[in-house]
Amino acid sequence: MNLLSIAPTLAQGPMPTEMGGATLFHYLLVSAIMFGLGLIGFVTRRNLIIMFLCTELMFQAAGIALIAFSRFHLNHTGETFVIFVLTVAAAEAALALALVVLLFRRKETLDASSWQDLKG
Amino acid sequence: MHSMMSPILFYAACAIGALGVALAMPRRAVSPYLIGAIVGAAALGLALIGLAVAKPDALPNFHFYIFSAIALGAALRCITHARPIYSALYFVLTILASTGLYLILAAEFMAFALIIVYAGAILITYLFVIMLASEGPTEEVAEAMGEYDRVAREPWTASIAGFVLIAALSTMFAAGSSNLKLNPELAVADRHLDVMPKRVLAELREAKLLPDDSWGLAINGTNGRYDINPRLDGQGSLTIASNNGTGERQLIAQKDWPKGLSLSNTEGVAFSLIDAHPGAIEIAGVILLMSMLGAVILSRKKVEMDEEALRQAIARERSAERGDELGIEGPYATPGVGQGGAA
Repeated sequence: MNLLSIAPTLAQGPMPTEMGGATLFHYLLVSAIMFGLGLIGFVTRRNLIIMFLCTELMFQAAGIALIAFSRFHLNHTGETFVIFVLTVAAAEAALALALVVLLFRRKETLDASSWQDLKG
Repeated sequence: MHSMMSPILFYAACAIGALGVALAMPRRAVSPYLIGAIVGAAALGLALIGLAVAKPDALPNFHFYIFSAIALGAALRCITHARPIYSALYFVLTILASTGLYLILAAEFMAFALIIVYAGAILITYLFVIMLASEGPTEEVAEAMGEYDRVAREPWTASIAGFVLIAALSTMFAAGSSNLKLNPELAVADRHLDVMPKRVLAELREAKLLPDDSWGLAINGTNGRYDINPRLDGQGSLTIASNNGTGERQLIAQKDWPKGLSLSNTEGVAFSLIDAHPGAIEIAGVILLMSMLGAVILSRKKVEMDEEALRQAIARERSAERGDELGIEGPYATPGVGQGGAA
């Protein structure tokens, strides 16, 4: 339990094979739970902004899984992919929020079910 | 699953988690979110205990447990909080905690990029829109919170479905990740050091590994690159050669290399991005450009001029045209065209 002995696993160094004491599965589990929470939030919440916030949560879960895989394989491809995820998240935020503002101006509410008539 | 954690414990944790999340959702009656939070925390604790019991040697790494507990707790609060602003702030907390996870995984560049881009830029945009698009408090209602914020839609169905998904995903992750083997071919351990000869030389000189200043890096005869061969297991070496005509060579084993002689995470990501995936940046740029165009088109507004302003604008245009015909320099006539008309 010596703090100093585990400190090197936090820093870069020559990539150690051990994933800082936790295995790949630990990180994948956290990622799966976060993705599930994001999904639950997306389905249950009725506020348009919160729904998009929940998709960001799912993006974040995917990011953790990618970084964990990148670390497991000891290369940087996963991290490059996270840059991509970040780009898509930024693009999504810009477009989705512009849409939300547009929809809010029309009906003065953020309720997703107020647009139910779009079902046709 | 068996090697990672006991399945029964895990599925029990999933069931309790579903119960906790469903209880924590905002609802019409007084929301028992405190009970929900306690039940959810119990489920999380059960899952983490299950992990720790199955892998006692993983116990010392309590940073992982701290960061993941904060991240998941904040994520739960983010999806259950009735007020959008607090939701967004809890999402920032999730981001910060997962940044900690990134740091444990030695992805420093992505950790800081995440803080700057996500917590710094994207979430501020969200906060702007939340403040822009919410009804202010009126005379009658001080608590300006819509019905849609206070009552969740189908909390039980959603959380049961979500946790079934989590259980299935985790079972598959456990089976898959225990079969996964590290492929040394894919691993990059400072593979790009041979394109940075100046830095390698400076490090060697600082560590006083060069006999004198006339020595430099040796070039491999077969591939014409600098002879630097780092290996994952630390058995690699690099060759230095003297430049004073004797052709003398000397091998430096990887275990004797100075500490600074390794790629930092940022350099590794840069090489991966530029060297291995050059198309990714281009595509990312196009995606960002398209989203910018889309946002501009979506948010553009048709300007409605009132009657008076419209009449004035038309009058101004007419007078400009007339001035042009008469050769008078009107506001819209360019000097050259005006003089040509007079002549």
